[in-house]
Amino acid sequence: MKRFFLIIVVMTLLIPSAVYAQGTDPWSEVFQPDGNLNPDLIDLGVTTDHPDWMSIELPFGQSIDLDANYHRYQTPSGNIVVLPSASTLFFMAMNPQESGLTGSYGSLGNGYGSLISFLGLVAGDNLDWSKVQAEHPEYTSPDQFWGAVLNGQQDVWTYFSGWGFITTLLQMTWNDGALRSLYLLYLNGSQNCAAIPGGCSGIVTPPPPPRECPDPTVSMQQPVLVIQKTAPNNPLVVGQDTENRRGADIQVRVTVPPVIFTWYEPIYEERDVCRSTSSGETANCNTGAGSAINDGVSDTEMVFKECRTHVEHLPDAVASLQATAALDAASQDWITGRLGQTHYEAFVHQANFTLIPGIGSWTGGCDGGGTCTATGQALRVPFADPGTFNLRMDVVTTGTRFLGVPITQPRRVGIDGTMQVYVALPALVP
Amino acid sequence: MKEIPISKRNLIIAVILAVVIAAGILVIENWPLHKEQSSTASTNEDSLVSTAAVNAIEKVFQVNYQEGKDAWLERICELSTPAGYELFTAGADRMWEKYVDAKSVVTASSQAVEKVADNGSEQVWQMTITLSSPLPGSNKTQDTAYVVLAKTESGWKFDRFLMEEEINAIRAQGKTPTTTVEEGKK
Repeated sequence: MKRFFLIIVVMTLLIPSAVYAQGTDPWSEVFQPDGNLNPDLIDLGVTTDHPDWMSIELPFGQSIDLDANYHRYQTPSGNIVVLPSASTLFFMAMNPQESGLTGSYGSLGNGYGSLISFLGLVAGDNLDWSKVQAEHPEYTSPDQFWGAVLNGQQDVWTYFSGWGFITTLLQMTWNDGALRSLYLLYLNGSQNCAAIPGGCSGIVTPPPPPRECPDPTVSMQQPVLVIQKTAPNNPLVVGQDTENRRGADIQVRVTVPPVIFTWYEPIYEERDVCRSTSSGETANCNTGAGSAINDGVSDTEMVFKECRTHVEHLPDAVASLQATAALDAASQDWITGRLGQTHYEAFVHQANFTLIPGIGSWTGGCDGGGTCTATGQALRVPFADPGTFNLRMDVVTTGTRFLGVPITQPRRVGIDGTMQVYVALPALVP
Repeated sequence: MKEIPISKRNLIIAVILAVVIAAGILVIENWPLHKEQSSTASTNEDSLVSTAAVNAIEKVFQVNYQEGKDAWLERICELSTPAGYELFTAGADRMWEKYVDAKSVVTASSQAVEKVADNGSEQVWQMTITLSSPLPGSNKTQDTAYVVLAKTESGWKFDRFLMEEEINAIRAQGKTPTTTVEEGKK
């Protein structure tokens, strides 16, 4: 129920406001007047990061480093649009300086109001407002309090009266990675990518263009990822398949279309000219500067003629591929709860599998057209527990270079899938 | 006026009954166990929660690199909320890599120090932990932890370790007696 509420809350913030689509506003490069994203944006995909401000310190110097997760776009002028996941946004709001939130253009403008709404909705029920009012009567509404938190003027941690909502928020984001509620804009983010959320991953950095020709352009399509169970149709837990212990086969496939890099080469031609004489040279032509006698020497110079277009299909190969399977929480609850009531001491045998690399492996390469693929499979994975397994594949690409110049940074992409594992249970038929 | 005859025997029985009922009411209202029931229930509940905390902490820091990450996580999972387990799993890869590199074989014992917060469905406990040998990244064998436990249908479960900011907030509040925190308003 709590999870459902949080999803509804975040979904209500998903629709971008058309208020940004104004002429001179940098947001006009991001949104069309109707509020839709501008098609000229380069989709940089989803980037994950492990910032210190999303780390949970454990005793004995141990730590749980949580993933900050952003979907980013690059505008034609080099600004970067960042959509953090719900949990990442929450931690950014709790650490506005360290996370780079305060450096965003959006946080200075309309973005603040949306952020305050977001905080009120996801964390407001766990804020001890009566304690805030007792200690800080200057805040006459929770919105004022959240505003002070975002400005770094107010510590919020003393005023939380619940703790589980943070865990729920994090879990919700992992399972619903698309829940992103706020657009943050970083002006000139591509030039200063080390300082923006998500860093330089996937940022398009074309080389300086020649003066006479148009700027080079980069276009890229999102990689196509597939993770699926291939056999058998209805996998049975290996504990009930004692002869074969068949398990299930999982296959992964990634296709990365080439990055299309279009650049323009200036073409010059040699032309005869009469240039001014230098000291020691004998004049043999007239420069046409008004002199009645020869005042220049014959020479040749390179004159711009045209721009020649080059289209490069740059391969963005798969550098690493990981695939995992994890029994979802509801299935684990069912095994230890309902199944445990009828089958004494039912327990979860193995909830997590490292499929690739581990049980299986992957291979990949690129063709002459610049399309790169990677495939892998994990055969006869010995699933011992019934229920829904969440499949996950994470891929990192190499990025692209042209003539030794980096064109695009490595991309991190991922996909989720599910599969069912079955158990045969006896039933009494009247 | 109609006269109702009452025998002497019935009159004595009625008086005895009235005295017994009055005495019974007085005894029930002043019975010492009556007031102790709620505190006893609370103590029993706290005992359950602190035991759950001790068990979970000991599983978290019971590390044997030879048995594999999955076996380690499954022990923790049994004592955790589903969300808490997912939270721990999300950061487990990097921790386990260090344990394998260091060939860690460690056992832990834990004790509940005090309950520092309680909102009815969640409790925060301060714990002490003693390790049989240090874990990679630290040379300590004794440390303190603050953990959140949540009430679920199958009892009290470990949810997560508090973050540094939350611990600092609790420490800043000082050693004030634990009070039940009411749910805040948005």
